[in-house]
Amino acid sequence: MGDIILKNEQEKIKLTRRDFLKTAAFTALALSIPSGGLKLLESLTESEALSEQAPTSAQPLPAYIATSCGMCGGSCGIKVGILNNKPVAAVPIEGHPQPGLCGRAAMLPWLYDNALRLKKPMKRVGNRGEGSFQEIPWDQALNEIASKLKEIVSKYGYKSIAITYHDCWSSYIPLFTYLFGTPNGIPHVSTCHLAGSAARSQVLGIAGPNLVDPDYENASYLLLIGRSLSTGIMGQVQRARSNSKLRIVVVDPRMPEISFGNAEWIPIIPGTDPAFVLSLINVIIEEGLYDANFLKKYTNAPFLIKQDGKPLTEADVKQGGSSTTYMVYDSSSSSIVPYTSASQPDLNYQGNVTLADGSTASVKTAFLLLKDRASQYSPSNASKITGVDEDTIRRIAREFALYRGVADDTWYAAKNGNEYDAVKGILILNALVGNIDAMGGLVFQESAGIPSIITLVTSGGKTYAKTIYGASMPQEMFADSTQKRVDQLKYKLTLGTFDAVLDAILKDDPYPIRALFVIGTTPILRDMNASKVIEAYKKLDLVVFINVLYQDDADYADYILPDTTFLERDEIFATKWTPHAVVQMTRKVIEPPEDSDPREAVWAMFEIARRAFPERAYALGWKDEYADYSKFESQFVPSVIDAILNSVSSKWNVSKDRIKQELETNGFYLLKRKSYYSRPYKSPVGTPSGRVEIYPLAALASGLDPLPSYSPPAYTLPSAPNEFYLVNSKSPTTSLTATILEPSKFLEDRKVWMNPKDASRLGISDGDAIEIESIDLPGAKVIAEVRVTNRVREGVLYTRAQAGGRRAKKLVAMRHFSTNGVNPEFLAKVSLHPIIGYGATNCSVRIRKL
Amino acid sequence: MMVRYGFLYDESRCISCYACIVACSSNNYPELMEDPNPNIFWGTMATNIRIVIKEQGRPEQILLSCQHCERPPCVEVCPTGASHVDRSNGFVEIDYDKCIGCKACITACPYNARWIHPIKLKPMKCIGDACKARIAKGEMPFCVEVCPAEARVFGDLDDPNSEINKRIASAKTVKIKEYLGTEPKFYVVRG
Repeated sequence: MGDIILKNEQEKIKLTRRDFLKTAAFTALALSIPSGGLKLLESLTESEALSEQAPTSAQPLPAYIATSCGMCGGSCGIKVGILNNKPVAAVPIEGHPQPGLCGRAAMLPWLYDNALRLKKPMKRVGNRGEGSFQEIPWDQALNEIASKLKEIVSKYGYKSIAITYHDCWSSYIPLFTYLFGTPNGIPHVSTCHLAGSAARSQVLGIAGPNLVDPDYENASYLLLIGRSLSTGIMGQVQRARSNSKLRIVVVDPRMPEISFGNAEWIPIIPGTDPAFVLSLINVIIEEGLYDANFLKKYTNAPFLIKQDGKPLTEADVKQGGSSTTYMVYDSSSSSIVPYTSASQPDLNYQGNVTLADGSTASVKTAFLLLKDRASQYSPSNASKITGVDEDTIRRIAREFALYRGVADDTWYAAKNGNEYDAVKGILILNALVGNIDAMGGLVFQESAGIPSIITLVTSGGKTYAKTIYGASMPQEMFADSTQKRVDQLKYKLTLGTFDAVLDAILKDDPYPIRALFVIGTTPILRDMNASKVIEAYKKLDLVVFINVLYQDDADYADYILPDTTFLERDEIFATKWTPHAVVQMTRKVIEPPEDSDPREAVWAMFEIARRAFPERAYALGWKDEYADYSKFESQFVPSVIDAILNSVSSKWNVSKDRIKQELETNGFYLLKRKSYYSRPYKSPVGTPSGRVEIYPLAALASGLDPLPSYSPPAYTLPSAPNEFYLVNSKSPTTSLTATILEPSKFLEDRKVWMNPKDASRLGISDGDAIEIESIDLPGAKVIAEVRVTNRVREGVLYTRAQAGGRRAKKLVAMRHFSTNGVNPEFLAKVSLHPIIGYGATNCSVRIRKL
Repeated sequence: MMVRYGFLYDESRCISCYACIVACSSNNYPELMEDPNPNIFWGTMATNIRIVIKEQGRPEQILLSCQHCERPPCVEVCPTGASHVDRSNGFVEIDYDKCIGCKACITACPYNARWIHPIKLKPMKCIGDACKARIAKGEMPFCVEVCPAEARVFGDLDDPNSEINKRIASAKTVKIKEYLGTEPKFYVVRG
């Protein structure tokens, strides 16, 4: 450490002892010969002669196959090199709209035949949590799981089955819910992008984090708040880095890796992002730096809002008027008119309106309401909350407006419980400078139009669940599949809140859940209060863990089923992280290792259903011969891929063969390049008004404050000298899979970061061990080693998420490197947004030097 | 054809994803993939790229490897002539038939760019065999090929039209410890 000596710094930096000795040795050698230069020359001449030999390039080279990476959920385009029947290398696919590569993908040679690879089905032989298993044949595992499921369903009904998952197999989850008659397929999103997705759907009418994204390669100024570009999707980094004119500013309590390079780092107090964003909005409005034309034409900024917060509609002012026609003040006609017919909508109107019933209502534009709200967060006020000085806030606001910047809409953001307001503010910020769907702005993705695996269709007065490959299940067989999910019963706007499943397991609230499939995910490293997850595991009647590696949650499984890796299966899907419409493939590039027998989770789920509820499996197109895995691979999988190809081919009017050929050769097929200035310019966005809503009417309808505001984080704030915020994030080498592969031992930093001022105040040195106890979960303690670094703000501790502190018995027994460090989920309490259902994985802690 | 290869590492673009390090390791040292401590010299993977982080002041990071010096101290101290500059390509190379594993080169290298292979007990460094094979085919070495951030460039310093010369011309570059007179061919764009 600290031994970089660059030319223009040489006067400033003293040589270390080691450097001195080396330099001295070199100099001494040179001086020992009268003409040192001559000696050097002779040596070189000699080696020049040696170099006449042919270059050592005779070794065999790997053969490369274009596919997609599955080391995290990003699915970047990579080529996998196969040599001697092993995957030995990965390189990016040139020209791919979302090209790899990152350290995770580069680790794939370690994944294939890893010692932690799940190779055969296993059955628990000890108590849950002991981690004792024995290998059993597939048939036995499937029969026993099916038999237990039947028993559970007979007692508690179909909806007592739940499936939790992450990205892997996510497109098949709706199919699984019909297969098992349950509505409860519940993803990871409450600790990931849920807050952002709620804000996006309300402001921009589109939820998913990848459906709208900064146009990195054309942006001029990129503001990253709650996002670092350091995790996943290196194609985004490539696009940003290929843009030499791009300025990057990152706002984060710890310095993300991107700030080793040319990205300005603004250290902020954790959980204060909404106040920071509102302050930027305040400066931009107060200094008149906004794009008034965009706001008037394409947003609901000029909409008139009544004192009760609701928009003034035509129905308010005219008998028989429409309640979805929103009214604005048109300064050209000096009258209040429907927003669609105003030629000069006024952003700053406020006054009284006579309503249809003769009463008077006081109204104000949404823009003025935003202005009022933001005025509470002047740079001086916001500085006290955020710890970012006033001048910096003003400078960033001005730069953002003058460069017509783009603020990233975030991804893995559930940290402090107030991200919904932060992201809403971020989206409004983009709208204020008119940078929506503009080149270099926040742009909507062109849809590739990949069909859902299963959809509800009505024919002849009957409803069917129809699969893309032609099977259909009649309504009378739906069982509980089409009911509201257990989390949706609690959190009106959730897209997935796994904690609701835990309550259903532990408290039968609102009804009992007794069987859980954990597919391609690890809730112990994913969900707040991991101890609650463990408690729930212990109470279940059936836990099935399906994955490729042995993760912490496997300890609590009754059955462990080995899944195929992305190297051993075929899948087709839309490229996720690109503005263009692209279809790409994951291809089976190699057979699984010889001593293993992994099967795709899709096959396992169907085979369990065929044994438990055969009529359900057959209705969804399963055949007895698919029990033979080779038939599944050669018939079922191609039938799904073919159906998707047919659909894409007909939607885009391109021959299926051509798409297929390109997929095989290049790994992707570009269907349509991004067309800028589309929504909301030429077609409406999916909000109630069809415009970008800086005052989201959908939020109002759900009982939420439409405007962003700041409220403190969902956890107790640190106050004593030995109390800290504990913040977490992933690193550029983090994924649940990658962090237990050998390179991660050396590349992932599992120490807890502490600022040098805090360390000096508490007498802590680099490498010291500390005990960290959660303030909100007394008794929840971990031990960690400290890294003293100025890459973290004072008063804040930082740890990687999903990288360390693993507790699986198998890993502990191996003294596996991933048991070092902290799993912050054991320290964060469950605190969920009451309507959206997202949580906070950061927390506050008190520390003790050991 | 004589060429004079050099590397450029752009600290301002690097994202610390470490793909270069991992790819270098698995491709050049596959035999050490399962070794729990393959590189005790650096305490890291079996790789030719070392992570150097400067914490003082504004934090900086350089992913450092052999500088392929024109006047390499490692060649100078080698008692057997195993370490040499291959003038056909400009690489500092090791002839393992001549190498006796004395480690003089490791001590002499001011960049700490060499490490000891735990099985072969001989010094390892950039450029690895798998990368050399790629270069022979006209491809980029693995660290350059896999970089998602365009933070690495490789090419012929004697070719005015090479990508590396274009980058050197368009950005302010420095060479590490150039004052030692080693004439490194590893250019760094600082962050």
